[in-house]
Amino acid sequence: MNIPWLALLSLLLKGVAILAFFAVNAMFLIWLERKISAKIQNRLGPMVVGPHGALQLIADTVKLLLKENIVPAEADRLIWWLAPFFVAVPTVAAFLCIPFSQEWIVADLNVGILFICSITSLCVLGVFMAGWGSNNKYSLLGGMRSAAQIVSYEVPLLLSVLVVIMEAGTLSMQGIVHAQELGWFCLKPNVLLAFLIYMISATAEVNRVPFDIPEAESELVSGYHTEYSGMKFSMFFLAEYANLFIISAVAATLFLGGWLGPLRPSVFWFLIKVYGIISFLMWIRWTLPRVRMDQMMSFAWKVLTPLALINVLVTGWLLAGKG
Amino acid sequence: MCQKVYDIVAGVVSILKGLGVTGKNMFRKAVTIEYPFEKPAMTARFRGLVDLHPEQCIACSQCVKICPTAALQLEATTNPETRKKFPGVFTYNEELCCFCGLCQEVCPTAAIYLNQCYEVAYYRHDDLVKIDLLKADKYVHLAPPKVKELRP
Repeated sequence: MNIPWLALLSLLLKGVAILAFFAVNAMFLIWLERKISAKIQNRLGPMVVGPHGALQLIADTVKLLLKENIVPAEADRLIWWLAPFFVAVPTVAAFLCIPFSQEWIVADLNVGILFICSITSLCVLGVFMAGWGSNNKYSLLGGMRSAAQIVSYEVPLLLSVLVVIMEAGTLSMQGIVHAQELGWFCLKPNVLLAFLIYMISATAEVNRVPFDIPEAESELVSGYHTEYSGMKFSMFFLAEYANLFIISAVAATLFLGGWLGPLRPSVFWFLIKVYGIISFLMWIRWTLPRVRMDQMMSFAWKVLTPLALINVLVTGWLLAGKG
Repeated sequence: MCQKVYDIVAGVVSILKGLGVTGKNMFRKAVTIEYPFEKPAMTARFRGLVDLHPEQCIACSQCVKICPTAALQLEATTNPETRKKFPGVFTYNEELCCFCGLCQEVCPTAAIYLNQCYEVAYYRHDDLVKIDLLKADKYVHLAPPKVKELRP
């Protein structure tokens, strides 16, 4: 039997590389978040472990790994155990189609953006499972809120992505980057509006302030992951930050030209754009208060969705006018 | 409709204002003092632990009498040649002390005073209740540690 060992090995290496990036990136983002919040509040943030607290997260990870895994009484065991995987696995899978550079992409699917959007939608299932399985009213409320929020913000999100797809004429992530070689998409006014809608809905998608009502510390303890501890909690935590990276990477690819940049296009430009967007989202997080649930839902359905629909319509007219 | 548009514009402006405030603070210097590595100096009249200049003390026992919590214990000794009194035993109970500073106020020779130490914890109870004020090295362990050595 002829087994393609080399191809298998390369696949395995790519998988390991993605998992390593998943973990290291999340750790870096948590450190960055703590540092930015400290800067905004005139504090120093973690300083003791490693230079400027850079190794703090390694200490925290070791602590989380060693912690006890507590199962709440009368929890729905199977659902409770599966939930963290339903959140973490789609997040890792979404990394498959992120174009880090011309060569650095695991699989340039011809439906790349569709794949990312659909697989990250699975996360909401995990979140709701966690809320239901915990047998805790706070978790259940958090899970319900999260489901409502993610499902409604997915509509304007996808409509704004649709504008880019119409402009680029392709669903492949590399194809979208190549379509921007003459100029980034965000320089066109209709795509700029789509960018704005995308950023707002993406912030809601990953449950970040000002749309963090599923987690709302002051109301729901910690929302759907209140009852989780140890490694299961850290899976939620890592997935949260990995999701932040994914929405920023998609935003950079769709609107800001991905790995294209002055001088030589490379992974460097891509990472600069992604971490720039992430820093901006963190800046927003430590500035704005949380919005109310009904305000948030009405904003999604009454403002963002019509705006995105009109935007799609206008883009269609413009493209039809061009021939 | 007009009200709606106005609301949206006002909302965006307020978000930008908020971002401006946090953005400005991002580049300010942090106010944090990294405490165990960096010890702030106290003000001149800070009332820390009771301390003594033994050579100035005339063992008049005024401080012992005025002490509201009886934290001081003094046994006077007389020098047979000069017939002057000096403290033979002078102990201080930090556990009882209320840091009122009356001993410092009443002392005629300014021998007893409250120093600047604020790290007043001890590892053993015995050390805390019987501090020998006549010993020169009684507060050596409270002296600020060398900053560079503590930093990891």
